Amino acid sequence: MKEQKPTYEELEARLAQAEETLRAIRSGSIDAIVGDQGMLIMRAKAAEDALRETQKTLEAVVETAPILIVMTDSRGRIVLFNRACEELTGYSRQEVLGKTIPELFLSPEWVPIVAERFADPFNPALQELHINPWITKTGEERLIEWRCKALPMPRGTGYFVLGTGLDITERKRAEEEREKLEAQLRQAQKMEAVGRLAGGVAHDFNNMLTTILGYADLALREVSPESPLHDDLLEIVKAAQRSADLTRQLLAFARRQTVNPIVLDLNDAVSGLLKMLRRLIGEDIDLIWMPGHDLWPVKIDPSQVDQLLANLAVNARDAITGVGKITIETHNVVLDEAYCVDHVDFLPGEYVMLAVSDTGVGMSKEVLEHLFEPFFTTKEVGKGTGLGLATVYGIVKQNDGFINVYSEPGQGTTFKIYLPRSEAQSVEIPAEKTAEPLWGGRETVLIVEDEKAILDIGERVLEGLGYTVLVARSPNEAIRLAEEHVGDIHLLITDVVMPEMNGRDLAEQLTSIRPGIKCLYMSGYTANVIAQRGVLNEGVCFIQKPFSAMSLAVKVREALEQAS
Amino acid sequence: MTAQRDKESDNPTCYHLRLFVAGDEPNSRQAKETLNRLCEAYLKDHYTLEIVDVLEDYRAALENQILVAPTLIIAAPPPPITIIGSLSDTRRVLNALGLPASEEGL
Repeated sequence: MKEQKPTYEELEARLAQAEETLRAIRSGSIDAIVGDQGMLIMRAKAAEDALRETQKTLEAVVETAPILIVMTDSRGRIVLFNRACEELTGYSRQEVLGKTIPELFLSPEWVPIVAERFADPFNPALQELHINPWITKTGEERLIEWRCKALPMPRGTGYFVLGTGLDITERKRAEEEREKLEAQLRQAQKMEAVGRLAGGVAHDFNNMLTTILGYADLALREVSPESPLHDDLLEIVKAAQRSADLTRQLLAFARRQTVNPIVLDLNDAVSGLLKMLRRLIGEDIDLIWMPGHDLWPVKIDPSQVDQLLANLAVNARDAITGVGKITIETHNVVLDEAYCVDHVDFLPGEYVMLAVSDTGVGMSKEVLEHLFEPFFTTKEVGKGTGLGLATVYGIVKQNDGFINVYSEPGQGTTFKIYLPRSEAQSVEIPAEKTAEPLWGGRETVLIVEDEKAILDIGERVLEGLGYTVLVARSPNEAIRLAEEHVGDIHLLITDVVMPEMNGRDLAEQLTSIRPGIKCLYMSGYTANVIAQRGVLNEGVCFIQKPFSAMSLAVKVREALEQAS
Repeated sequence: MTAQRDKESDNPTCYHLRLFVAGDEPNSRQAKETLNRLCEAYLKDHYTLEIVDVLEDYRAALENQILVAPTLIIAAPPPPITIIGSLSDTRRVLNALGLPASEEGL
């Protein structure tokens, strides 16, 4: 079929339409061009607009994200650096664009590590969390946790590496802090548990030692000093006394040692002990004493200061091979909140510090961890009991103080003890009583004790001294005796912890039956009946088990002569 | 999609309009809105409007020699007139419909 030629008018109309179409395309007022076979070409501008919108949104996300977002090209040059990066590093975008991460942010030791990590940027391992620190403009190191991914460039052969990072410096610091505190707490709990156990053992042990010492004393009196049996008995007494020292140390560690704290000047207390300490440490070691000026008073049993210094000095002595020196110093310190945050056991306040330093071998971290545990010793078998530092720890805790140890192998050791400042004025340390002859008396004494062996010993010792002795194995029996006995009862000697009622309640009941009766408590440890945390209540007469015949005789007299 | 409105009445001048659009793209949407408004205002009950979506039915576009969307064909009354673009120039649309442009005040 022959195609009909268009007329001039028709051609003109088509041309006008074509021109209009072109105008519409140029002005952007069309959406699609219909091609051959119905293939559509969508308006490019619309797609570009949409892309630009998407890009804008993404840029806003990148910019406002609180995480670090950084992108480098295939040559490692920074092409994207968001605001979080600027805030963290202190560098502006203009300063970093085109530069590399190693030259700006890595410390020299991290450069090879990071280079190796990014040797293959498409390694999937880069997408896993990994830490590498950045150095900021001010030189501060921040720990950053990164996740990275290589992105191939849309056209061409290159790639980008996108890194997203989180500043975990504070979190890491908090974690370390928490771990440290937990370790300290565990240590404190362990010490508390061991202390309880030690206290319990010492209590039973003291009862038995009282019996051994008592009977050995009685037997000694029956045997002439010339007899070979006399020396044997003396050996028994000595062994029992050494055992008593051990249990005393256990009790000190367990904070169940019964004490009579007084307000004193620590400088006076230490000065009075220097002679004994010099003897203890020997001639090869210099003892340097550096008393602090205007020392605040502290409240502590003077015998505990002896125990503290003797134990620390022996420990220091044993750390020194050959010659060396031990320094004892005191001064006032104020512990602030910041210090106590790092030291979980410590409370802020005013303290008097007593430090004992040596130039010895020092201690490893492992040894330091177990240092205050009873029976932990680095000394040869037979050389140390492992109770010395446990005792020190117990005494410090009983006096509401703190202790710190600084030591490194080869660098010597320093123990620092902090005792709380006392508000009261210090008093003179009473001079030690010299041994006096056994005093007797004619008074009537009532002894109450559930351990029969101790009751028997007490009865025999006191009868031997001329007293009239009534014995009861329980508080109820004692009350019955007090009601039935014709004549005066001058003194009650009672155990503190007994099955039916405690010693203090018994004393109160007996006072109502027999007003004016005096009271002497005896115990292996005191619980909280007559003492608060081991500190004796005012005016309470007390004898610590185990006791010798002589100390019982002395204490009974003291109690009888105490003003009502 | 083909939407059809048939509101012929006994009025002698009856318009037949065919609008080719590309989905709901911006120019197509504007063309539909403008045309609907003008028809309701000026041609009420005297027109038929056929909307052809070239994304769904490109054959209709080829048959009508439509090159771009949106395109409006005023098929009746003759002669057929073609207007290309988003119909933003309403004056021109009214003119093509043979209506007085001065009344366009919408």
